[in-house]
Parts: sequence; C-alpha cells; structure tokens
Amino acid sequence: MTSFDLPVDPDPVEGITGPFDPPGIAWDRVSPRLTTARLVVLGLTLGLPILACAAVAVLVTPWVWLAAGFLAAILLWAVLLVPRQVRAIGYAERDDDLLIRKGILFRQLVVVPYGRMQFVDVQAGPLDRKLGIAKVQLHTAAASTDAVIPGLPPVEAERLRDRLTARGEAKLAGL
Amino acid sequence: MSDSGHAPVPEQQRPTPSGSAAVPDEGLQWRRVHPVTPFVRGWAIIVALLFVVTQQSFEGIPYGELVDDVAQVWWVFVLGILGVLAVVFGFAALSWRMTSFAVDDDAAHLRKGILFRQQRHARLDRLQAVDVRQPLLARLFGLAELTLEVAGGSDSAVAIGFLRLDDATALRADLLARAAGVKARRSGPAPAVPDPADAADTSSAEPGAGRAAAAEPGSGDGRPDGQVPLVAVEAPENQVYEVPPARLLGSLVRLPAVWVSLILFVGLGVVVALTRNVGLLFSLLPAVLGVGTFLFNRFAGEFGFRAAVSPDGIRLRHGLLETRSQTIPPGRVQAIELSQGLWWRGKDWWRIKVNVAGYGVEGSEGTQSVLLPVGPRQEALTAMWLVLPDLGTPDPAALVDEGLTGDARTDRSFTTSPRRALILDPLTWRRNGFAVTDRALLLRGGRLTRRLTVVPHERTQSLGLQQGPWQRRRGVASFTVHSTPGPISPAVHHLDAPDAARLIDAQAVRARTARAQQTPERWMETVAAVAAAAEPTDQSDRQMTDQPTGEPVAERSDAPAARPTSEGDA
Repeated sequence: MTSFDLPVDPDPVEGITGPFDPPGIAWDRVSPRLTTARLVVLGLTLGLPILACAAVAVLVTPWVWLAAGFLAAILLWAVLLVPRQVRAIGYAERDDDLLIRKGILFRQLVVVPYGRMQFVDVQAGPLDRKLGIAKVQLHTAAASTDAVIPGLPPVEAERLRDRLTARGEAKLAGL
Repeated sequence: MSDSGHAPVPEQQRPTPSGSAAVPDEGLQWRRVHPVTPFVRGWAIIVALLFVVTQQSFEGIPYGELVDDVAQVWWVFVLGILGVLAVVFGFAALSWRMTSFAVDDDAAHLRKGILFRQQRHARLDRLQAVDVRQPLLARLFGLAELTLEVAGGSDSAVAIGFLRLDDATALRADLLARAAGVKARRSGPAPAVPDPADAADTSSAEPGAGRAAAAEPGSGDGRPDGQVPLVAVEAPENQVYEVPPARLLGSLVRLPAVWVSLILFVGLGVVVALTRNVGLLFSLLPAVLGVGTFLFNRFAGEFGFRAAVSPDGIRLRHGLLETRSQTIPPGRVQAIELSQGLWWRGKDWWRIKVNVAGYGVEGSEGTQSVLLPVGPRQEALTAMWLVLPDLGTPDPAALVDEGLTGDARTDRSFTTSPRRALILDPLTWRRNGFAVTDRALLLRGGRLTRRLTVVPHERTQSLGLQQGPWQRRRGVASFTVHSTPGPISPAVHHLDAPDAARLIDAQAVRARTARAQQTPERWMETVAAVAAAAEPTDQSDRQMTDQPTGEPVAERSDAPAARPTSEGDA
C-alpha cells in the first residue's frame, strides 16, 4: 500500500501535478455537498449490511463479527477517501474545449472540444435535488468519451449546460 | 398486390395509408419496396409455421389408421395449410403496403410498421455510408437491400429493402449524388467562388437535374410498384485491389485459432489413442464448431473482396453467400488500423480495419468495418492512401514503415515509451509510441500482433489521459483518442508523462485547426479528389497538401465530367 505514494500529496488537489495540471488552467471545483451525497449512498449500501451482520452476530454466532468488522473497515476507508476524491474533481472551460479531471490514485483527464459535443445531459436524483446538486454529462459521437461533472449546484449546472450548447452550436462541424 | 397493378399513379398521390400524416407529403414521391420483401425477410418464420402446422396435423392422427383415414382427413390438412398461408400472406401484404420510402434533396424518408408506425428521416448530409446487401435468398430473387448509415448510435441505420438489384444500385447512386450536393446546387445559393470550373460544374449538374424533372411525369408508367425510374448516374470507379481466395485461405490457416485448435486436437487424439476412450473426442465438439463457424464466417464474409475508388468514395464488395457492396464517402473514415498477427509476418501480410460512424461495434466475424482482409504491405499502403490520400508528411511511406515494423531502436519520427516503462510493459514498451504529421496522428503498439492506428486530426472526438499509481511512480501516462464506436479504440500506453502532457495539449489544438479547414459534408461541392489517390505516388501526395486553395478547382471540373461518360453504359 505504501507504494501507492498517497502520503506524498500534501493536499490532494494541489498535489496533482505533471500531465494532469496543465499550466495556466484555473480549475473549477464541484460542490462539497457531493461528499455528503456520496457518503449517504455509501452509508446505506454498507451500513445496512453491517447492521444485518451485527444482528446475526448477536443472535447466532459471534464469528459474523468478522464480516461486520471487514465491512466497517471498508466504510471507514471510504469515509476518509470520498472527500479527497470529491476535491480532486475539477473542470475548466477553455476557449475551445472543456477539461475535466478526476481521481487521485487513478487519474484521468478528458479534453472535450465544444465543436464535438452532440448533446448535454443534466441529471439530478431525489437525493441530489434534496442536497441541491446536479450532474452534467457531455456526449460526443464517441461512446468512450467519459465526460461527467457530478456535484454541480443547479444554477451552475444550468449555466454550464447553456454555455456548452451555445458554444457547441457555434462550432458544430460534421463528424 | 392486386391493387398496385392497375392504378399505380393515383396510388402514389394518395396520402399516406392510415393515420400517419405527421409530415406533409408535398414534393415527396413515396415509393414501395418489392412485394417479395416480407417473404425474404420472414422466410424462416414462414417455414417454421408451416412445419408446426404439418406436424400438428399429422400428430392428430394415429399412425395405424393413417392410410384409411387419409381420404377424410386430408381436407383438414390442406385447410390448415391454406389458413396459415392466408394469414401469412395477408400479414405480408399488409406490411408491404405499409412500407414506403422517399428521397428528397435533404433526407431519405422511410415509413413502416403495421400497428406501431415508424417514420424515419435520415439527413443526407449526415450520411456516413451506403451498403447494398444481398442475403442468399434475396440473391435468388435478384433483390437487394439498401442500408443508409447515419451516425446515430446503434440501430440508427435506414434499411430500404428489398428492391430489385438495379433499382437498389440506382437508388444508391441517387442518394450519393444528393448527399454529395450535386443536386443541392440547383436550388441552393450560388457557390462562393465564381471560377471557370464552377461554370462547368453547374452545367454538368444541370442535365442531371433536367433529367430528374423529365423523369417525374412518367414515373408511374409500367412499373408495378410505383418505382420511379432513377436519375442519377453511378459514379465511375477504378478497382484498386482484390483479395484472391487462395490468399484469404492462406491467411485464415495462419490464424492462431487454427493452430491452437489443431494442437488441442492432436493432443486429444494422442490421449484417445492411449486410453481408448473415444467419448473424449466429443468434449472438443463445441470448440471445433466454434472455431469452424468463426473461420467459415470470415471466409464467406471476406470472399472475393474487391476495393475500388470513385468520386463518391471507397467501394468495397465482398461475400460468398451474402454479398455486400459498401460505399464510404470521402472523409467518413474516423480511424484506421493496420495489424499483423505473428504468423502473418513471413508473408508480410496486413489486415486493415476502419471506424466508420454508423457501422458501430460488431462481432468478431463482422466484415463491415474491414478495408482490407489480408494483403501484402504494398497493398495495405495503397488501401491506406484510399482513406488518407495525404498523410501530411514528405515521406509517408517511410513513416508508415516505421509505424508498422519499427521500434525504439530504429525510430526517427516516433516518440516511444521511456525505458522506465520496461517493468510495466516488458514486451511492447519499445513499440508503444506516437508520431504526428500535419494531417494525422499515428499510434503504434503491439509486439506479437503489431498494430498501427492512424487518426486524422479532424476526426478526433475527444482526448483522454490516464495514469494509475504504478504509472505515476514510473512517470508515465496513457493517452487515448476517443473515436466513434467501432473496432478501433486508438490509444498509446506508458508515454513519458511530459510527452503525454504535451501531446494532449498540442493534439487539442491540431484537431481544432484541422476541423476548421475540413472539407464540407457535401463532398462534391468542393473536392472529389479520391480518384487521384488511386495511384499513391508522391506526386499526388504533394498535390493534395495545398488542398484548400488550388486543388479543388481541377478536381471539381474533373469528377462531374466523368459522370456523364458512364451514362452511356448505364
């Protein structure tokens, strides 16, 4: 685990350097409420099995505490990781393309030219709406384009959507 | 079927069959497909139904009394068959009546469906490819299906069929001419640059338009299905290469699948001989069937492969049982990949696949995206020039040679993985690399199966950069070009991180500039230079480089002039 050199990064966002930090780019961050949203989902998907395991452990056999402990360890690790992951998500609007960056351990940078955009999705589930965030997804003619910006405030999501579609139309070319 | 015989003309002018008047029909000439279509499409269902009915009728009768009772029972039997036939026939006739298509200057329209009506409009300036497909049964009837590929994800193609073969090819020529913008000029705004070639161009387009007008009044005459005599002329073509069956067989025999299964078979034979347990042989049956199907599909699909160039793009014809004739207009190829398996090296054979938006991802035996099933290097280069007449470099052959067989020790133009990547990728790190020309990005990879991927700058969709924890420790990153769905996903792994950063930055700019200068979707309006690429000489390469200014004029006057010459033949 030490070989993943996580501790080298003092701050997960400032620590992202090299090819994933092109010079002269001011990155926009997503809302910290995304952390809450992700933690709630995690808490439900892992918390319920932990409770179930604990119940079985108390009622049937104490061996099941092992499983409960294992799940709890994963949950703890995730709770520590998720805020850093959310802080590592960034996007930047350049004159002709949109940059999206994410990941700490497995880093990813996508450059989507506005002229290549086919359509833009804005999605928000019930939890997202409650928390006041939305997800913007860009689609090009390539299915492999993985350009998603999660956790945007709805106003910002709408602004981004309008801006992206306006720029896309202005620069639209054939395939 | 009976009503179409006597009054075809009012039949056409009557508005849509039932309740599907979503689109005004003005100016559209709706045509019917060939009446046999439902049977060609649904023959399997019909055979199965007949089989079931026959089976049921016979099973109702005890076998012993069969001979005695046959005189009484055959009525029921015949009635059952007739009933099924009537239902099938009625359904077929209805579905035929409900299917119609039309073509205008901007789009192809298709209406079909009995209960659930479907209307589909495919914009012709978004046309990616046109296929004329003849399944075995359709070949017996002399029919063909026309498929227009537009880049709308899976199942976005417009399949018009079945038509008589010459009608289908004529319709294809018509569609391509309209998509190329030959007719659009009639009503559209005048071309921006008034030059002498333009005058020649419009005048040569005019006869086509005139003939279109002349053909319309008499459109119903004598044709049973209300099929209009088609107007446009097939663009002339020059055959560039073909794949002889012997070479195709030789290439299949050299596939690893064949050798692996052969070794398995021999090994099992030895085991069977030793243990005298013949039953073991059956355990191989699924594998043998699988490999056999794969090989046969590939052989049948790529049999008689011929490629030709025409002003309308690349023409590919292939197929043993089901034949397919593809036309890919200029600029529609999104990415191209040359690959060579281990056992093809001795012959220096290469296989070329392409990404065309609309063809999408297909199975392993899919032959739609194949540009060259197997061919020696010279032929592979020729095939490549078909797609990319100009690679944007003074010495394209040397560059491509380096991409095909070179590695880090012999490189002159490729940038490869650093030595640090050795531990991540011990086999291919010397091969991983990229080279950039004025027109395209070349990505190289693969040691046992060599691969060279070429993406024209203007066809780049988006770009990606990935780095895992091990890669970060080694200071390398992987670079991806996102292309339209297809067999090729261009990528190069483990580049030096600063190289990767520079590449993604510069590539974004290059793609943008190339897009700004790319030829328009209606290719005839400015350039139809593909024919010139048939001879991949350095000369033609050089001509193409300053394409936006000088070249189109010469090409434009040349290509439509070539069209009327084939009118005589057609």
